[in-house]
Amino acid sequence: MSNPLEDMELPDVIFCIGTNMTECHPVAATRLKRAMANGAVMVVADPRRIRLAEIADLYLPIRVGSDAALLLAMAHVIEREGLVDEAFIAGRTEGYEAFREHLRPFSPEWAAPICQVPAADIERAALLFGRADKGAIYYTLGITEHITGVGNVQCLGNLALMTGNVGRPGTGINPMRGQNNIQGAGDSGAIPANYPGFQPVVDPKNAAKFERLYGRSFDPEVGLTKVKALELAGRQIHAMIIDGENTVVSDPDAHHCRRALEALDHLVVMDIFLTETAQLADVVLPATSWGETDGTCTNTERRVQRLRAAVPPVGEARPDWWIAAEIAKRAGLAGFDWKDASDVFNELCSVSPIYHGLDWERVAEGRYQWPVPEKGHPGTPRLHEDGFVNGRGQFKLIAYQDPAEVVDDEYPFWLTTGRRLTSYHTHTQTGRSEAIREVLPEERLEVHPEDLQRLGVKDGDAVRMTSRRGDVTLRVKATERSRPGTVFCSFAFSNVPVNLLTGSGYDPITDTAELKVCPVRIEREEAGLPA
Amino acid sequence: MSHQSPEDLVGHWKGAEAPLLPLLHAFQERDGYIREQALEAISQGLRIPLADLFAQVSFYHHLTLEPDGWDAPRVCDGPVCRQKGSKALLNALPGARPMACSGRCDDPIPVLRRGQLTVGLEAGGLQTRSSPLPPPPPDGVRECVFAKIREPDRATLKGYRGTGGFRGLAWALEADPDALLERLDQSGLRGRGGAGFPTAAKWRAVRDAEGDPKVIVCNADEGEPGCFKDRALLDHDPWAVIEGMLCAAFATGASLGFIYLRYEYPETYGLLEAVLEEAHREGILGEDALGPGRAFHIHLRRGAGAYICGEETALLNSLEGKHPFPRNRPPYPVTHGYRDKPTAVNNVETLASVPPILHEGAEWYRGLGCGEHSGTKLISLSGDIRRPGNYEVPLGLPLATLLEDWAGGPPEGRRIQAVTMAGLSGGFLDARDIAEVTLDDPSIRARGSFLGAGGIIVYDDSRSMRDAATDAMSFFADESCGKCFPCRIGTRRLLERLEGSAGPTAGAEWVDEVKSIGEVMQQTSACGLGQAAPLVTESLIRRFSEDVGWKHEGADPS
Amino acid sequence: MTTENVFELDGRPLRFEDGETIFEAARRAGTAIPSLCYDPRLNAFGGCRMCVVQVEGIAKPVASCTTKITRDMVVKTTTPKVERLRKTLLEMVLSENPDRQVSADRGLAASEMNDLAQRLGVRRGRFAGATSGKSRPEDDNPFILRDYDLCISCYRCVRVCAEREGDYALGVKGRGFATQITAGFDRALGDSTCTYCGQCVQTCPTGALGDKQIMRFESLSAAPETTRTICPYCGVGCSVDLVTKGDRLVGVRPAMDGPANKGALCVKGQFAYDFVQHADRLKTPLVRNEAGELTPASWDEALDRAARGLTESIAKHGRKSVYGVASGRAPNEAAYAMQKLMRMLSGAHYIDNCSRA
Repeated sequence: MSNPLEDMELPDVIFCIGTNMTECHPVAATRLKRAMANGAVMVVADPRRIRLAEIADLYLPIRVGSDAALLLAMAHVIEREGLVDEAFIAGRTEGYEAFREHLRPFSPEWAAPICQVPAADIERAALLFGRADKGAIYYTLGITEHITGVGNVQCLGNLALMTGNVGRPGTGINPMRGQNNIQGAGDSGAIPANYPGFQPVVDPKNAAKFERLYGRSFDPEVGLTKVKALELAGRQIHAMIIDGENTVVSDPDAHHCRRALEALDHLVVMDIFLTETAQLADVVLPATSWGETDGTCTNTERRVQRLRAAVPPVGEARPDWWIAAEIAKRAGLAGFDWKDASDVFNELCSVSPIYHGLDWERVAEGRYQWPVPEKGHPGTPRLHEDGFVNGRGQFKLIAYQDPAEVVDDEYPFWLTTGRRLTSYHTHTQTGRSEAIREVLPEERLEVHPEDLQRLGVKDGDAVRMTSRRGDVTLRVKATERSRPGTVFCSFAFSNVPVNLLTGSGYDPITDTAELKVCPVRIEREEAGLPA
Repeated sequence: MSHQSPEDLVGHWKGAEAPLLPLLHAFQERDGYIREQALEAISQGLRIPLADLFAQVSFYHHLTLEPDGWDAPRVCDGPVCRQKGSKALLNALPGARPMACSGRCDDPIPVLRRGQLTVGLEAGGLQTRSSPLPPPPPDGVRECVFAKIREPDRATLKGYRGTGGFRGLAWALEADPDALLERLDQSGLRGRGGAGFPTAAKWRAVRDAEGDPKVIVCNADEGEPGCFKDRALLDHDPWAVIEGMLCAAFATGASLGFIYLRYEYPETYGLLEAVLEEAHREGILGEDALGPGRAFHIHLRRGAGAYICGEETALLNSLEGKHPFPRNRPPYPVTHGYRDKPTAVNNVETLASVPPILHEGAEWYRGLGCGEHSGTKLISLSGDIRRPGNYEVPLGLPLATLLEDWAGGPPEGRRIQAVTMAGLSGGFLDARDIAEVTLDDPSIRARGSFLGAGGIIVYDDSRSMRDAATDAMSFFADESCGKCFPCRIGTRRLLERLEGSAGPTAGAEWVDEVKSIGEVMQQTSACGLGQAAPLVTESLIRRFSEDVGWKHEGADPS
Repeated sequence: MTTENVFELDGRPLRFEDGETIFEAARRAGTAIPSLCYDPRLNAFGGCRMCVVQVEGIAKPVASCTTKITRDMVVKTTTPKVERLRKTLLEMVLSENPDRQVSADRGLAASEMNDLAQRLGVRRGRFAGATSGKSRPEDDNPFILRDYDLCISCYRCVRVCAEREGDYALGVKGRGFATQITAGFDRALGDSTCTYCGQCVQTCPTGALGDKQIMRFESLSAAPETTRTICPYCGVGCSVDLVTKGDRLVGVRPAMDGPANKGALCVKGQFAYDFVQHADRLKTPLVRNEAGELTPASWDEALDRAARGLTESIAKHGRKSVYGVASGRAPNEAAYAMQKLMRMLSGAHYIDNCSRA
């Protein structure tokens, strides 16, 4: 997030798109609700009538995958009505002239049939956001898990730049990170393009720095993404270590994913449970769990905080870092002689410019948000206050593009996937709480009552849902949350592996899968569900 | 109205000022009760959380979630109606439920059913009739607010104009707001609802506060048992109240007005609806009410059965569609009132006093009092008295004069044992007090009581004063809003002790507990209800100690 | 200007901020004025009246939680009169509930009223009479116990649900002594807009609301201890205190001073912690045997096997045949170690994490 969580109580106009925040980031959502109690106006765009939509002042039930069309049309209106922040554009951005030209055809009337919402509502949304003194944008995977994920984000960037809603309290473009330490995993260098602290691997200075630090030379080019690595499994990639990810359930096109892992010569999985993925491994290494592990993590607002062990590990479980270090040592590598988690974290701080001012003691109370370039620095709650890291903010000329697959006679329903309040991700943790299981006993496909009627299916009946890649069976739940023609389910339950169906395409830049759009067909499952 | 869909009804009120109460009433009138679907539609339309709506509906006595609950007759079970046989009437009417004193003590017993009011002492004799006019004053007594109320047709616009109406406003419009405030200041007029705050000072504070629009609220939620003077004014001289509100608007710069009327006055409601409609039609209210471009609008809103809404900040919450708890003060309504706008909340009597004062002058008004006391006060007199009714007394009039000379004394063969003050809130005075006290606050406060809204209920020597105190505490316990602990718990514990249903039943231990609770309530309660309620037990112990089985030693603590 | 913002508290001059209440300033100065309805995160309510203090020039005591300080105000927090009033008032409050002690485990503030009674030396049993509030044992949701027999109608639960959580699930039924805290249309929590975030439980000062998950472990005799950490679920990073009894993780409590959450949690962070000590946890390393089955192994054996597989792959297929996936769920140290391992093994940047799915 460019802005701190506490800023979420400050905007006067809140624009949420592709974020089911009350279910996926409930505590962050409380801040938006407080902002609304203090008079803020909220605009929500989402294919589902989620809780945020229910409390919003304006709700746009856009068709899945039509985000860019909506955002272009909003920018069009803001430009047409002269609601742009001229001073900000002149002082902090470049490329606006071309962007203005680019916007010309993208009127609300153009976008309305794509988004399947009235042009007047798009106009209203644009006027509300355009007239905001403090306008803030919040988004999540509903924006990024598309083949146009990068373009969607850039469209949001354009909106924020043209209205000057950047770098001030209560503004910004704020992605909510979905996992407790997904921010930290990237910060720590577990990405193919960057060394720790987002130091690009393609920069020779960085390569030289890490050669000095780590004592070996590194390739000057970006590595493979996980998606590519799985594609190359059995061909180029023959051995893999997976730490704490239930890849075959969480990733798209699960059949393909399973085949890929099976094609490996050697698979090592570190986890706390014998997940579906671990069951494919040659070696399974029991990691300590949250609650048993000392360490640090970094939240969605870039706040580095301490994790502390409260109970001893079960059985022989060991911390992930220790396991990785032991493997390294046994593979003959040097530089892994850490005594404890603080050693590891302090080394990370020493090599990472954004953590450079931090150390184990300093993060004890979670006061710092990176970048913290040197000791004594107070941290950076709000990014881009005085300027962008890369110079001026660039307007990006994005065009609307259909999803990789669109509905047709054979696959007439849009399936979109997500999470539910009471389950987390693939439910390996939440699903082990009796109490949670009591309130969320099974996964149900949310279908509009009109669609059910057309399908001749009743609420609670079993259906088979099929995409070009696979099928699942599950019960349906009649609900008007989604418009007719759009259905929803989560990927929480391993007996409804909905990611057998997804995986129609990937964003070409990030390799992020289009998990939010998948055309499917739905038929009554006469045999019912397996016991 | 009865065929409108929930969406239509909500749509009709959405965007209007203070829409919640009228919507709740509309749904209840349409369906005979308040259905869950109605609350869901209101919740969506007005964006009020469902739990909050449910809480409010369950708070107000006259809103019901039970199917056909609106059908049940509600019989006034106030202190005077109890004297007149309300329990028997309750038993005689199938499905009847008691309701708190409904302000018909001069013509009991009121029965409310489906928004219709009838009165009568027996089930067979219930009839619809208008509320009584105030009895004429003794010869030579000059009146202020009641001076013209007995004129024929005074309640019509024509009649009002024909009997000197609008001369106060005309004087003000020709002068200016400063002159108006100056004259009110000199008259010494204080709020007549009970708190007694100087009216001119309140209006000046609203005028000087920042915020727009400024708001005038006429507090017609006359809920104090034994008080029915506001009803007489609104029924028989409504235009005087409208004129008073116009004067208030002129003085403060307000453009928005409300009359918040208690639910138990349905005919008054119909009458006021017609008056306001006519006033807007005639341009007396509206865009140019106070001169070209100087707008003043009045909206009529009905309460739904809650004594606490007579407390001005609870009233404002009620108008705003919030849970009707009193607010923490400061800030006061004069700066943060209706929707946090500067707001003058004035009692009906106060507003009706303003036009004659402006017209006749401050000296005239001051001269209406006895001796050094200035002005008048309306007294609602009821109970064991021959001529109950509303009396406008010169301040400083001996209480005995009102009781014996004006109102004819107790019924044949009885003597007066006690009277209440301030309705029930002032507790009891005994015969000795009655012989000595004059009707003005210094005299009454010296007896540990206060004049308040001016309700006086008479108890003759056939009554048990412990029973009277029990009835009074039962009222306060029923009406305690439940926000502040001392009142919520204290009213209940005092009632239990008066009833003898829990704790000590009499004697020194009884007195110790009752006094301890009373002190906590009086010292720490958040609003006047909890602060005043223990006057009932305190005055009982002090003046009728034999009724609680206790002889206090030494001198009277007063 | 600010140098003039001084008032007198119990005979000592004290600075105050504009708009600060007597209660807050006193609290800041270390003077704990008694209260039952105060929660620093909520708007002042002024309900319990336990916090009354004497202000010079004002006849009656005032509620310090709603009274803003003005310059040169003279405040006394402990006169014999206000102490007498508070004691009697607390005796009245105690009288509305059955004399039933419940475990302090129920919630963060569960013993607040009992502690206050002890502090003020207040006796139970005075002011006998009806009790208020009725428990809802039929609400069998697995998270929140509704033991309203112990309720004192302080509205903290209602207010936290509205003001902090924004769910507006809780409300009341009725008025006066009959006031009953309830949810939605006076039915089960599950039938209301409640999301089981647990904030109501944690602010309840009497244990009338209880954390059913932690209550499963009430019979464990070890004294509860707490450890500050961060919630394991989404990216918001809420601070929590883990409650342990001996080696058993028995519950989770929100940290009121957590920078990201300020005392808030959601149903997952508050209640879904059983996975940590679940029977399904992996307890030993496993290696696949020749029959193709995963069987328990020693750490040495498993680590050697893990390392060997990687080095053999490099020997056979080249350095760009190994790949690592780090976790977005494990600590920074895990991700850092993983990226270093993979980079050092291959010299390539064959490392990613799960952010793409």
